Amino acid sequence: MITLHHIPFSRSFRILWLLEEMGLTCELKQYSITDGSLRAANFKAISPVGRVPALEIDGTTIYESGAIVEYLTETRPDLGLGRLPGDPERVAYLEWLGFAETQASILASLNMQHLFMGDPTPAAPVVLKLEAARLAATLKAMDRTLADRDWLLPSGFSAADTMMGFNLFSAPYYVKMDGFPNVLAYIERIKARKAYQDARELDGPQEFYKKDFYDVPQA
Amino acid sequence: MKITLHHAHEARSMRVLWLLEELGIAYDLKVHNFFDKSLRSPEYLALNPAARVPALEIDGEVMCESGAMIEYLCELFPDKALGRPAGDPERMAWLDWLHYAETIGQHCANLTQAHIVLYEAHMRSPTQMSLEARRLHKVLGRLELQLADGRDYVMASGFSGVDCAVGYGVDIARRFVRFDEMPMAAAYAARLAARAAYRAAQPPENATLIYRKDFYEVPNV
Repeated sequence: MITLHHIPFSRSFRILWLLEEMGLTCELKQYSITDGSLRAANFKAISPVGRVPALEIDGTTIYESGAIVEYLTETRPDLGLGRLPGDPERVAYLEWLGFAETQASILASLNMQHLFMGDPTPAAPVVLKLEAARLAATLKAMDRTLADRDWLLPSGFSAADTMMGFNLFSAPYYVKMDGFPNVLAYIERIKARKAYQDARELDGPQEFYKKDFYDVPQA
Repeated sequence: MKITLHHAHEARSMRVLWLLEELGIAYDLKVHNFFDKSLRSPEYLALNPAARVPALEIDGEVMCESGAMIEYLCELFPDKALGRPAGDPERMAWLDWLHYAETIGQHCANLTQAHIVLYEAHMRSPTQMSLEARRLHKVLGRLELQLADGRDYVMASGFSGVDCAVGYGVDIARRFVRFDEMPMAAAYAARLAARAAYRAAQPPENATLIYRKDFYEVPNV
């Protein structure tokens, strides 16, 4: 029995999507960022820091989405979605997992400053601008990589791509994507996958964004 | 095997430097200045287009993500037993804590940017700084719980590569969060600081440091 504690459109979507790619069914427990369910005592017993994802699996609980991706692919190697030690793409695979989290940290910071600090946000425009520029730089690096391939790794789709299930759906709220045609085509390839579509069906409505685009406020 | 680490004192590359010392393997060290333009030179940008440390060259292959470096280095030297390979009963926890270190690192990076890189008051938001410090504090609560059973290191079986990742995070976090209510984590930091490899990875005297204060208070609005 696998249980995923989940918030729509958050990092836990990476896991929801990966589970669909692997054909693993899970019990989905949905939480909301607005109703206090993340701070409730019963969730605190599962996730001491009160964050998603939390995945109950194989008799224990694991929290960090990058670690969950690694663990699921290692323990189910026949599904071929990881690149395990000894694989020629091992380094590239680990690097993309790390890159995805580096990029996600910029998004998490933008989310916090634009969405959760009040309206109008008391965030510093200098910081918002800097973070958006940083995000654009990571997208530019991806755009270069995706110029000659369909997925992040040359050999084809892998669990590293599912790490983008949070990133690339949050990024367009902060950066205009027109400058990254290869990333846009990649997003379309992701959306065409059956497992991604099935995961979105389960995902539920996002509660983070109230606008289509969050510009840097004038100082 | 030829290994070269690109490093700036007190930056995240320190975790990898410390791990290399723990592994006791031969490597070359290239020290860069965190604040000047040396990370923006064409030679360095060819290694790491994000102009950040670390970068790790291993036999011509280049890595830029410190968490990935730690995992890979532990795999390359299995006899040093600093990883917990697939099949090990601690494997899941080892991976979770390796990535947890990244969560600490993200909050520390946001705080470092606000307190140190953006030194002028109008550039920063005390609301954000205060919120980041509170979130960091909360995240560290998980470490305090993990250490509550009296274990010396994050893994019950003993010291491992994740202690380099988590331990570095704790060191930086102490600049932004009070550890008075986290005695286990404070003792853990002291235990790590007593290790020879940890000391070998510390900046030399007179080095250019990122953190010049012991503690960074959130400024008053």
